[in-house]
Amino acid sequence: MPESIDIQLKKGALDLCVLALLSRGDSYAYEIASRLADAIGMGEGTIYPLMRRMQGEGLVETYLVESSAGPPRKYYRLTASGRASLVAQKEAWRGFAGAVHAILGEESSHDS
Amino acid sequence: MTREAFIARLRQGLAGLPEATRTEIVADYESHFTDGLAAGRNEADIAAALGDPDRLARELRAEAGLKRWEAERNPESAAAAVFAVLGLGAVDVLVLLPILIGVVIVLLVFFFLALGGFVGGAVIFAASPFSPHVGNPWAGLLFGLGLMALSVANVSIQTLVAIGLVNALVWYGRLHYRLLKPAIDPQPPVQRELAAS
Repeated sequence: MPESIDIQLKKGALDLCVLALLSRGDSYAYEIASRLADAIGMGEGTIYPLMRRMQGEGLVETYLVESSAGPPRKYYRLTASGRASLVAQKEAWRGFAGAVHAILGEESSHDS
Repeated sequence: MTREAFIARLRQGLAGLPEATRTEIVADYESHFTDGLAAGRNEADIAAALGDPDRLARELRAEAGLKRWEAERNPESAAAAVFAVLGLGAVDVLVLLPILIGVVIVLLVFFFLALGGFVGGAVIFAASPFSPHVGNPWAGLLFGLGLMALSVANVSIQTLVAIGLVNALVWYGRLHYRLLKPAIDPQPPVQRELAAS
């Protein structure tokens, strides 16, 4: 089943984006979902299975914060292995993006 | 769709999952509605952005079944994984089903052949030293032993084939996720692509 390159790119970047958002501060799913939905057009419902998987892999952990209105809210924070994964993925992403960028730049200079 | 309808359909669709998991998933989506409403959106909007709750529940349930198979390889979890994929209700599952039934029948036939071979081998092995029909008792002993070994080998090859088949089915099932797809892919594709280059 061929996917558009757009979807493939987003899929690859999703984990990394969530880790990066959480590295700047603990957050709750709705906030993460709406930021990613705005920024990279991710489906909102996707965030919950994603967070469950990342929790299962020990990359993030949750804690509850009492809220003034309604039930307590579930916050996510990075674990040590989540931080390590962020560093590794960031490096991989930068290397890859840099290489793609270099190739694209080369091609466009041939065009002109 | 209203919040109530979405949650009701999600909860109903998740029947069969452990109660704790179900409660947790439903609570996640409940708080999504609460937060969305607080941000000034209406229920229909939020529900539409989340996608079809029946589909979502089917995929969540399928994923739970497939995870179980990956955690413990036994006939029970294999059956759970097969039903999980069939439960996705993709159109080509109807194409897959007759093939699957055929494969299961072939495996069963081979299994009973192996079983028969093993029992037959054991009988020949045990009886040949006392039987007047066998010229050389050693030949009978070796033949019986050989038949038993062949049957055991047959069953182990079948087990490997069956495990491979279920794995292929799991892979096939995951291709049919629509709502969960980006969230479930177990390997970070960035690293995979780099490793391949």
